[in-house]
Amino acid sequence: MAKIIKEDVVCPFCGTLCDDIIVIVEDNGIIEVQNACAIGTAKFFSSNASDHRYTEPLIRNNGKLEVVSWEIALNKAAKLLAKAKRPLSYGWSSTECDAQRKAVELMEVCGGVLDNTASVCHGPSLLAIQDVGCPTSTLGEYKNRADLVIFWGSNPVHAHPRHMSRYSDFIRGYFRVDGYLDRKIIVVDPRNTHTAQLADMYIQVNPGEDYELFNAIRAMLRGVELDVNEVAGVPIEQIKELIETLKSCKFGVLFFGLGLSMSKGKHRNVDGGISLIRELNDHTKFLLTPMRGHYNVSGANIVFSWITGYPFSIDFSKDYPRYNPGEFSAVDLLINNDFDVTLIVASDPASNFPKDAVINMLKKPLIIIEPHKTPTSEMANIVLPPAIAGIECEGTAYRMDKVPLRLRKVKNAPEGCKTDVEIVEDLIKKVKKLKGE
Amino acid sequence: MKFILTSGRSIDQGVALEGEKLGRENITACAICEFDRDDFAKLDCMIGTPVKVTTKFGEVIVYSQISEQGPHPGIIFIPMGPWANAVIDPETYGTGMPSFKGTEAEVEVIKGGKILSALELIKGYK
Repeated sequence: MAKIIKEDVVCPFCGTLCDDIIVIVEDNGIIEVQNACAIGTAKFFSSNASDHRYTEPLIRNNGKLEVVSWEIALNKAAKLLAKAKRPLSYGWSSTECDAQRKAVELMEVCGGVLDNTASVCHGPSLLAIQDVGCPTSTLGEYKNRADLVIFWGSNPVHAHPRHMSRYSDFIRGYFRVDGYLDRKIIVVDPRNTHTAQLADMYIQVNPGEDYELFNAIRAMLRGVELDVNEVAGVPIEQIKELIETLKSCKFGVLFFGLGLSMSKGKHRNVDGGISLIRELNDHTKFLLTPMRGHYNVSGANIVFSWITGYPFSIDFSKDYPRYNPGEFSAVDLLINNDFDVTLIVASDPASNFPKDAVINMLKKPLIIIEPHKTPTSEMANIVLPPAIAGIECEGTAYRMDKVPLRLRKVKNAPEGCKTDVEIVEDLIKKVKKLKGE
Repeated sequence: MKFILTSGRSIDQGVALEGEKLGRENITACAICEFDRDDFAKLDCMIGTPVKVTTKFGEVIVYSQISEQGPHPGIIFIPMGPWANAVIDPETYGTGMPSFKGTEAEVEVIKGGKILSALELIKGYK
């Protein structure tokens, strides 16, 4: 069979959403991926037929997952959701925006709780942004203008492997014609990460002391003399050098990662970072962008906000949306046993949630929409196999800077797989019917 | 020996995540604990020797490794995944976000300890 070359494909792995991927397909199998990073390449290849791919719906019977028809699987899933008093739906960040839109409708119909992976990712960053705002821009602006790039608690070499070559370090920009020679990179991290090893300045902060360091920098930026030798493990002399570097750049950008949102202080760390950036604008131009993980977690936040007013941790039990991270967020709900069914979509919480949350999740019925075998899907009661968005069906995804890009279809899904939207639409119809709506 | 445990992404973890999550690749990528070079010397064991990481929240056995991303004395790193999540602090402090980074941990060398696969570990929770 002839090879089909698909160009300008958008990679559905991380929030960088690289849009220059070339995928070569033969006999409905991906045989070559060009330009993508190691992880993006693995994701494209993971869509090929293998023992690790689900192609038919499954229901657990006597402890074993057995193949059933779509009708039986969807009916059973809808019955569980319709009967549930407090269903939790979590995930949604590795699928496209139409499915996310339908997710809101489904949880509204069920009177359940809707959460996306931001709650264990940049959820605290969203809380901080709601508190103090977010002076931000698109990645293209940074590429063309930024002469100082800070990665704080972020390791793009590992987590966003092409970010530095496409937007933030090596790439030539309109005003940065010599690429990395025209930019200074600063990395703040407790570990001397591979990103830090590429940096012009590395600041080794003590773990969990980012808040102290942000505030020391802010104080010193205002001219306060601190009578200590170091803050958060960083010598005062190095902080002074850092401040001079920050003030003397023409256009600076702070990319921050989970080092801030997962460490002690959480949203307050991000708050400190945003406040610092705001104050640096008294001296020069400075902006910031969170380094979003899942390729469409930004889209999940945008779609949920557009429909409900809230980006994650949304409760529909009172027929109108309520928002309270810490109460309606998936990990808290699971740890507090405040749910009776879980519907997981495009996520693997058994791997990614703390043990206590997983123990409770496995005690109650678990429905999953997932193309691959994962620890969560292998423990689920119902498995619904979808087409992989961005590889086997089209859709829209939002990049980490909130620029929407159209995902492309490069191959067909295995026969028998529905798209995420089709599955959720079917569930909505069936749940509505069972509830007599 | 006492350490501060941190977790996070690694490129091998990412590749394993998109490949065969129930396979060997995921174990070699994520069931590891990276030590600072000098800290590792104090453990007095070979690279790859299993170590038991114990925190207030649980314990897990993983392979030991010397970190390429050092020096980071006093800090150990387990890539994100079920092994790290067996021992991290689940407290969200009202934000929804567990404390995936910065948990106090104790490490001891377990010669001959068994490293569970992701599914074996999760099945143990049922």
